[in-house]
Amino acid sequence: MKLYKVLSASLLTCTVLVLSMQSQAEQFTEADVKRWTDEYMVVMKQGDKLFHGGLKAKNTVSCDQCHPNATNIHPETYPKFQQQLGKVALLGEMINWCIMNPTESDPLALDSDEMVALQAYIHYERRGQPLQPGNH
Amino acid sequence: MKKSMNRRDFMKKSAALVAAGSLPLSVVEMSFGKSNSENFTFAYISDSHITHVKGNDFVRNWDRGLIRAVAETNLMDPKPDFVFYGGDIAQLGKPEEIDHGLDILGGLNGKVHYVMGEHDYYLDLGDYWKKQLGPDYYSFDHKGVHFVVLNSILTHEKWMHKKWDKGMDRMLQMARLDNPDGQPFMVGDSQREWLQKDLAKVGKDTPVVVFSHSPIQKIHKGWNFWTDDAEQVQALLKPFDKVTVIYGHVHQIQYNQIGNISFHSAMATAWPWPYPSAYSQVETYLPKLTVEMNRADPFNERDATGWQFINMHTGNVDLNYVLPENKNRVVAFDASQGKPVDRDYQDADKRIPPQVHY
Amino acid sequence: MQTRLLFMILVLGLSSQAIIAAPLGLPPVPVPANNPQTPEKIALGDRLYHDERFSADGKVSCSTCHAREKGFTDNLRVSKGFNGLTGTRNAPTVINAAYYTSQFWDGREPDLEGQSKQPPINPVEGGLKSHDPIIEVIRGDKDYTSAFKQVFNVNANEINMDHVSMAIASFERTIVAGDSAFDKYMYGGDKSALNEAQQRGLAVYLGKGRCVSCHVIEETQALFTDNRFHNIGVGFKKIKGKESETAAQMLAAKRKGADVDKTVLTQENMSELGRFAVTENPTEVGAFKTPTIRNIAVTAPYMHDGSLETLEEVVDFYNNGGRLKESDPVSGFISGGIKPLNLTDQEKKDLVAFMNALTSPEYQALAKKF
Repeated sequence: MKLYKVLSASLLTCTVLVLSMQSQAEQFTEADVKRWTDEYMVVMKQGDKLFHGGLKAKNTVSCDQCHPNATNIHPETYPKFQQQLGKVALLGEMINWCIMNPTESDPLALDSDEMVALQAYIHYERRGQPLQPGNH
Repeated sequence: MKKSMNRRDFMKKSAALVAAGSLPLSVVEMSFGKSNSENFTFAYISDSHITHVKGNDFVRNWDRGLIRAVAETNLMDPKPDFVFYGGDIAQLGKPEEIDHGLDILGGLNGKVHYVMGEHDYYLDLGDYWKKQLGPDYYSFDHKGVHFVVLNSILTHEKWMHKKWDKGMDRMLQMARLDNPDGQPFMVGDSQREWLQKDLAKVGKDTPVVVFSHSPIQKIHKGWNFWTDDAEQVQALLKPFDKVTVIYGHVHQIQYNQIGNISFHSAMATAWPWPYPSAYSQVETYLPKLTVEMNRADPFNERDATGWQFINMHTGNVDLNYVLPENKNRVVAFDASQGKPVDRDYQDADKRIPPQVHY
Repeated sequence: MQTRLLFMILVLGLSSQAIIAAPLGLPPVPVPANNPQTPEKIALGDRLYHDERFSADGKVSCSTCHAREKGFTDNLRVSKGFNGLTGTRNAPTVINAAYYTSQFWDGREPDLEGQSKQPPINPVEGGLKSHDPIIEVIRGDKDYTSAFKQVFNVNANEINMDHVSMAIASFERTIVAGDSAFDKYMYGGDKSALNEAQQRGLAVYLGKGRCVSCHVIEETQALFTDNRFHNIGVGFKKIKGKESETAAQMLAAKRKGADVDKTVLTQENMSELGRFAVTENPTEVGAFKTPTIRNIAVTAPYMHDGSLETLEEVVDFYNNGGRLKESDPVSGFISGGIKPLNLTDQEKKDLVAFMNALTSPEYQALAKKF
């Protein structure tokens, strides 16, 4: 009997503890949201700069020359079958294709700061558009 | 798996390809009309954006685009009466770029007339260009047609002439298409005055063709597909029976009819631009008449680029787009409808997938 | 009697292949509704394909330039036909030609049926003045007439070139092959099917080499062609500086009724106009159809004029942006897809290694010759 009481008491305590921890984790504030969004916008603006000549391509060509306001990139359609790569690919892979081909420069690592920033900018200029994965 | 088409369809397609893409003679003979002006053809090449990298290196892609247009234009038989070059020889207006572009254009058989583009102008306010090529606005008559060339990429005097550290700073501001601080193109007061005087000597039934780099319309301000005094210029052209404006700058197929004026854009030899509707963050506009060009496959550097030749057989314009990798297109003035019409795709049910832009 | 027996065994062997499942790496063979495959038609087509009587000197058949034992080509720079006369173009392989949406280097025929009618009446190929002698031979041959009766339900006096070409096309539609080491690796799940050099070569092919855009590889199949026409710079030197002249000559000849097939195979400068000779489109000067690269190791020499002898030369040609030597001029009409690639020596070697992995099992024995 005693064992049963001890076990149920600890179970009850654990449950209370867990529940209270969960309710603390849900309490991110408006200030948090604003700060995190600002963090994003800082990187987005870095991407804007990279996009507009900041990548310093070997042949001076910049992304915005063919993609003013990041148009005709269609981040909302990725992953998609990318004919130029012969497979279903991610946006970052196609960005690298463009860096290597029309701007004749070296590709970026997919998880590099620059790649993240570029995608932050590209997506931002396309905000609000419905997802259309695979759309040509 | 695509079925190979039957022979009849195949031969029909081949014949259509011949009619669409062939050198101008057969097209002109087919649609001869009565008018005061004579039948003639001229070629129109635009927007080569030759870019200097360093030393003797230029961006190979844009070089090849201009070289290709020149090579294909030289195939025209009979030879065109002349060639017009629609602006933006250079990318940043550097003498090396203008020289290299003129070098390539030197391969053309026949006389070339030049139109100023903003990329030629803003480094030194057109100084070097004018030294090489003469006045940036002028007119002449040819076989009964009055041709006018405008410099329509000027902007507010104060901005152009303010104190810049380097001409290149001013150039870079105007070079960036999506520049949020961009200055709108305009023809300006003095040129409009000149135009009014020039047109006063022209008969109302004389066909008039205006060459301009900017559209002489207000299409999309964000990318300077825009002429700020468009209405005023259009008003000067209103009294004439047959007026066509041919413009560059937009690097895509556009066409429109406003009152008595037909508008036609030229393809770039360098690279294509998206249509304004591709930018989802603002409201945009494109002339309803326009059937868009085919979307580009960036693998092929000449896709969605090209040049054009124009038949003047009725005093209105038949614009033939010569498009590498794609079926050529013809946008011709239809007298019964009073506006330019694409010969193959104007009907909504004739559209093809590459014309879907979003 | 012996030949008869062998022939029947051949027919039986073929009939088991009549309804061919798609080879690994390829989709099912497209078959037009008006020319379905049957074992008898295929056997008839095989006979016609190998019949040397259908030529002016009785020595030239389809097989002369498209021989099975040479990978369905002839391993010559340009083909030799009637009287040993040479043409201007390299014989494309029949292997997988059934997947093309047009035939000939310039696509002047839409299908296999159309293609087979032209060589017999070309002066440097079959040398006949018309198809009549072919029909005569067939009508005079009892084995043929009974075969035509069985396959097409026509009497001897009703047999025409359409029947002949349909049978030949049916036979050619059985000459398909995939299942190469690459196919096993890519589509067969066998990651050991390609060695390291070949795998590196595949990566170059899909990336820096830019091959995949025209010589198509996709997620579930690889046709190795986009079925389009491109000027990659081959043969440009022959009409350099004379493009306008040559184009004008071709148009003038056509207006006077000249036949494209005869003209391009007998006049080298006209041959260099490529697709332009067919469509008269100024953007297609010097453009030729993208051939498949399957079995490329056994179908040397390469390009429409056979001017490149080895795969190493081919890779150099592309690496230099459409010319064999960097000092050669580049054609003004060159495709926008061609540009210098800056491949390293290792990458070039690996690319060649990869191309050697595209040979189907049935042609592996031929690969050892090269």
